[in-house]
Amino acid sequence: MSNRRVDRVYHLGVIVVAAAALLGFSGRTQAQNFDFDRLQRTIQEYSVIIDMKLQVSYGIQVNDHEERYVGTVVTEDGLVMFNGAALASDNLMSSYTGFAIKTTPVDIQVTTLDGRKYRGEYIGVDRFTRIAFLRIILERPEKLVPITFSQARSYKVGSWVALYMLLPEFISPPLAADVGMISSIIESPEYFPLTVGFNGLQITSVLFTEALEPVGVLGMMSDPTMSPADAGGMMDSYGQYAPLLGIITADRLARLIADPPQKGSVDRGWLGINLQALTTDMAEFWQLGIPGGIIVNDVIRNSPADRSGLAIGDIIYEVNGQQVDVDKDEKTPVFRRLIAEMGPDVPVEFSVIRLTESGVDTLTLLATLQTAPLAATDAPEYENRALEFKVRDLVFGDFVFYNLDSETFHGVVVSELKQGGLADLEGLEIGDIIQRIDDEPVYSIEDVRPIMDEFEQQQPPEVIFFVWRDKKTLFVNVKTDWR
Amino acid sequence: MLRYVTIALILMTGASTAAPDVTVQQDIFHARDKVMPALVHIQPVIKNYNTGELEKQAVIGSGIVFHHDGYVVTNYHVAGKAERILCTLADKEIVPATFVGGDPLTDIAVIKLDLEKYHGDIRVAEFGDSDSVQAGQYVMAMGSPLALSRSVSVGVISTKDRYFSADVRLPSGERTGRYNLWIQTDAAINPGNSGGPLVDLEGRVIGINSRATWFANNIGFAIPINVVKRVTDAILTEGRVTRSWIGLHCQALQELEDYFGTSRNVGVLISSIDPGSPAEKAFLRAGDIILEVNGQPVSARFVEELPAFYRLIAEQPPGSEITLKLLRGDQQYNFKLATKLLGDLLGEDFEVKGWGFTVKAITKQMQIENQLDDTLGVMVSGVKPVGAADQGGLRRGDVIQTVDREPVAGLADFVAIYNDLTNRTSSKILLTVKRGGTTRFVLLKVDGIERESVDEQ
Repeated sequence: MSNRRVDRVYHLGVIVVAAAALLGFSGRTQAQNFDFDRLQRTIQEYSVIIDMKLQVSYGIQVNDHEERYVGTVVTEDGLVMFNGAALASDNLMSSYTGFAIKTTPVDIQVTTLDGRKYRGEYIGVDRFTRIAFLRIILERPEKLVPITFSQARSYKVGSWVALYMLLPEFISPPLAADVGMISSIIESPEYFPLTVGFNGLQITSVLFTEALEPVGVLGMMSDPTMSPADAGGMMDSYGQYAPLLGIITADRLARLIADPPQKGSVDRGWLGINLQALTTDMAEFWQLGIPGGIIVNDVIRNSPADRSGLAIGDIIYEVNGQQVDVDKDEKTPVFRRLIAEMGPDVPVEFSVIRLTESGVDTLTLLATLQTAPLAATDAPEYENRALEFKVRDLVFGDFVFYNLDSETFHGVVVSELKQGGLADLEGLEIGDIIQRIDDEPVYSIEDVRPIMDEFEQQQPPEVIFFVWRDKKTLFVNVKTDWR
Repeated sequence: MLRYVTIALILMTGASTAAPDVTVQQDIFHARDKVMPALVHIQPVIKNYNTGELEKQAVIGSGIVFHHDGYVVTNYHVAGKAERILCTLADKEIVPATFVGGDPLTDIAVIKLDLEKYHGDIRVAEFGDSDSVQAGQYVMAMGSPLALSRSVSVGVISTKDRYFSADVRLPSGERTGRYNLWIQTDAAINPGNSGGPLVDLEGRVIGINSRATWFANNIGFAIPINVVKRVTDAILTEGRVTRSWIGLHCQALQELEDYFGTSRNVGVLISSIDPGSPAEKAFLRAGDIILEVNGQPVSARFVEELPAFYRLIAEQPPGSEITLKLLRGDQQYNFKLATKLLGDLLGEDFEVKGWGFTVKAITKQMQIENQLDDTLGVMVSGVKPVGAADQGGLRRGDVIQTVDREPVAGLADFVAIYNDLTNRTSSKILLTVKRGGTTRFVLLKVDGIERESVDEQ
């Protein structure tokens, strides 16, 4: 373990040296000079200990486990941020597997460092930074003391930063200080002051400069070539994946605090195309003279792309005048994330090459992004305890994955079955799309609720589900037991 | 009272004095001597296109001579894709054979021994009647388990009507089992027994051994000989098995009789309808219950009754009009629809050697299974690792629509364009493919080495 850490530090050291050479850094580090007495008094005001139960469901079974985090109060009315890595690990691909992993925080208790106890309500997690938010439930009117981040961007390679981390529950006091150093100011693929000396357990701890200014929180660099829930990192010589840690800066935090991510709602921007990379070979083949771009493979009807006039085969080579540097399929997530992070209702200008019979046309198209369709894990869900199953609404990803006609196909997806429960034993399967229950057609979970409510009144001996499974339909008879 | 007990004891004694062991042993010898001379050890070399290139594999199977002209029945999965077949007969003479015809839907194939190269006396096995066999009846399996030729094992019929849903696939990719039940036996069946006979103690072939179960002791399955007889007759007279298709999938009614309000043993429930099929065009629906086919009452209360219903539809002459009496809700209707010929499950294969992949012609059944809009194009069946197609991003299942801007209607078009381009030594070839619902571009960089390999062809 310690060897690995040494090795990681060695790798990061290489980056530090390289970065230092680029930035003209003198190469001599000085001893840190923090006033920890004063810092400890400051953090008392806005730091809290969060205890919560996490309910992790794997489609057919639910596990509970307890988690403890250090949180930071960020608004007077009790908004608190904390490490959301465990909450951002939802299985976003569940449309593709029919299998959802969901993590839900319940029983949230918040304790201030001076011993006041509150209940908390979970709000949501940002998939890019993995910072989660909850709100303290204030029983009586009360103003809490929030942290105020310093907006100054005074990060310098070689300067020290300090944080407080949470110690195991049997140790008192619960927090301990740690220091690290800014090792590089990464400019691309995103602005990210990299640090050395910290570890992954300290993520979302507030970082202070030697002037005791809070400048941001410790976070992982996200790798834009991976899905939003995946972090950036690098392999050490043992093949272990080491996350790249650094400062999530005050300006990014300010945006999140002003509009915290809400569980179940989506704030990602969406264009409405399927795409592939314009490889260097393809650019040469068509003699386009550009290093990369996005080929539009499909345009979703009535999407922002459709309304902007984008067409199949178009090649997007600039977004808002910025070159799109995507020359292999592995890099297409850079473009996806660019669009996602812009958010909905944002006008975007696309510079496009259109190949025609006679040659090459260049166009500028304007699209206003829309809110991205819900992911399967965010889709509204209905649980029936009598038959022991859960269903969710169909989402955009389902129609794409199963190649379904969104105008004629309808149903709800079986998202969870209790193992050994009635629905499970009688032959419903996870991923089945229920199209009718008895004779009633089903379009959303709102259709399922009244049907099942009525059954609970009438208590019929069997319920017949008409489902779509493996490209065919069939009837599934679930024998009931209403006791 | 005492008298009755005495009579019962006498009967039991009488049964035990029959010395069944001695009889069974003699019967086994008798059956062995009748069938063994017609047993065939089959060594085909089969063609496999699934890895992105044409691979040839030597496999081992079993078979039985059923016709004096040298016709041998075996499994489709043994000889269906065979390029070259060598057979070893019971007298250990090796005789070459050729593929005559096959039927993946029942996993049956017929090959023909080259009798000009055989100087022995050809012996033919007798087919029995698989409808009259019983569970518990002694049977013998003969063949080449693990390539150990002329092996005999003995057991009983465990059940005569085992059902497997039609989702069972052969190694070559075709679905099988829709039109037949299976005889289950505990006579040991191992890999290599495939295609060999299951024999009753009269020395009559009552099934063709086809499948075994992994991690189980002696749970093997044979295709009933009455199914085999129909298939071999069709292959010998017409070269293939012809079936009608209307595009129905059905489900046993047992659990659903209350819901649909039907009586026991009445009707066949339609559960799903293939898009673009005659049934869809005739406005049949899932939930309709078929009461009669051409005036003949039908029923499938249990899954074991489904293959017979599918067979009844399949045996109508393709293109003929059939009348279905349907129950929909509480009303009865007569629907007339014209059947279509059930075409091949999978299309012809082609190795695109110079570009590092293999393709298949797209059949109607492939179109339905893969939710394609039509049968245009060719489907990629394999991509050779690190070849030009792999590096260009082509994937198994892609449907190639154009090559170098030329539209591809089918396999013949594709082959013509391919041959033309390889002659012109083009170094970059642009394909448009359909993957899922979307169109993608794939650029193949055909380097010198791969072009040379084309030149060698």
